[in-house]
Amino acid sequence: MFSAVRNRMKSVKNIQKITKAMKMVAASKLRSAQVRTENSRGLWQPFAALLGDSPSVDVKKNVIITISSDKGLCGGINSTSVKFSKALHKITSGPDKETKYVIVGEKGKVQLVRHSKKDIELTIAEVQKNPLNYTQVAVIADHILKNVEYDALRIVFNKFRSVVQFIPTVTTVLSPEIVERESESGGKLGDLDSYETEGAETKGEILQNLAEFQFSCVLYSAALENACSELGARMSAMDSSSRNAGQMLDRLTLTYNRTRQASITTELIEIISGASALTG
Amino acid sequence: MADVPAEAAVDTDFEEKWKKLVPNLEPPKTPLSFMRPRPPTPSAIPSKLTVNFVLPYKSELSAKEVDMVILPATTGQMGVLPGHVATIAELKPGIFSVHDGNEVSKYFVSSGFAFVHANSVTDVVAVEAVPVEHIDPELVQKGLAEFQQKINSATTDLAKAEAQIGIDVHSALNSALTA
Amino acid sequence: MASNAAAPFWRAAGMTYISYSNICASLVRGCLKEPHKTEALTREKVHFSFTQWKSGKPEKPSIISDTVE
Repeated sequence: MFSAVRNRMKSVKNIQKITKAMKMVAASKLRSAQVRTENSRGLWQPFAALLGDSPSVDVKKNVIITISSDKGLCGGINSTSVKFSKALHKITSGPDKETKYVIVGEKGKVQLVRHSKKDIELTIAEVQKNPLNYTQVAVIADHILKNVEYDALRIVFNKFRSVVQFIPTVTTVLSPEIVERESESGGKLGDLDSYETEGAETKGEILQNLAEFQFSCVLYSAALENACSELGARMSAMDSSSRNAGQMLDRLTLTYNRTRQASITTELIEIISGASALTG
Repeated sequence: MADVPAEAAVDTDFEEKWKKLVPNLEPPKTPLSFMRPRPPTPSAIPSKLTVNFVLPYKSELSAKEVDMVILPATTGQMGVLPGHVATIAELKPGIFSVHDGNEVSKYFVSSGFAFVHANSVTDVVAVEAVPVEHIDPELVQKGLAEFQQKINSATTDLAKAEAQIGIDVHSALNSALTA
Repeated sequence: MASNAAAPFWRAAGMTYISYSNICASLVRGCLKEPHKTEALTREKVHFSFTQWKSGKPEKPSIISDTVE
């Protein structure tokens, strides 16, 4: 009983050491990720100012880009991305329509593969081998552009508000044809027509370049926000784990001490009764 | 650009559809709810231009009020003063300059877009921008020569295009240094 | 209204605006004085794995690493 308790204490102490270390690693990665995320927050705003955001747009080909992490132990953020992706799938489905998934991150893929295999178009992983930079995400965006047909892209991610708050967010990016369709029909993009275009190409060409650029910028922003949320969530998860381990350790120590005292008491009783038997 | 009223930060069509089909989940946020609405188009031409100059890794200028900017549009240098007509300009590699009183700041941008809004807010988004002083003239010459050679030996359309881009970018860098 | 009349040379060669603008940026970074050049090159590291799926099954993944295109 003694050594069982002692062994358990040893392994709980080890877990505590590991989770504390993981928390510190996540904390330091989070600091630099936060700086990069905050620095990138100016990037998507000009596109939102010019083109707005139209999540209710009605199109035939929807592609949901689910942003998730490769690694686990980061709380519920991947389940969140998947939950909202599935909900969007439901909302954008219909006769004559097609909704596909592009999944960034192993954890999202593992969840969506369970019931939505047929709708997966692309999966992307190992994205955070190096710290995220724009070139990296732009190349990913480029690959998506070249391999997937879409009228609207819906990027699902966890926006970083604080170490304990992550906000499920959807950014909608339209194809150049749909941008044109929406601006001609008035509505949210109705103002777009009032802009002149300045460039060596036709307006259609310029809008295509713009739509592609918008996609890479917005995807980069979303990827950074989600990576930040992942680190924050991991930090919290490791923090809870190590505090949990601490509490277990306290309880085990009590048990250990009680057991030790009980065995000392038992020994004393044996000695005393033995002695009294002798003198008795 | 018309003003974005506070209610437009939420797409009501979207929220309604969501609540009907996914009643147990709060709808997600969209980017507009994280953005301060842009100022409305004023009735008189404002005295200053408000400039936002952003790169993926930083916001170089944020809501800076200036007299004028000059953009390296693909059609040539484009000056923007307050009251300029709403324009979407595609940028080519070249100098972007910001003028305020006697101060001029110059950046070499690699490519990007500029949106001049009717409310005299100008957004400039570039992938890379460097102060002209950071450019190494020797590397520019070397690059220019390298790509001028490459375009002659290029066989595929793609290789030719890459070489042409190399020539265009290094020529622009060269002009920026000698300007 | 959309017309393909004036496609730029890079579009005609199969590039997207993203590839075009990435190449421009990389070329500019390559012409910087030190230490700016080394610092800028950290913004160019690319690595990811990419898997196409067909009818619910993943095809062979490809790894894209350290090329800017």
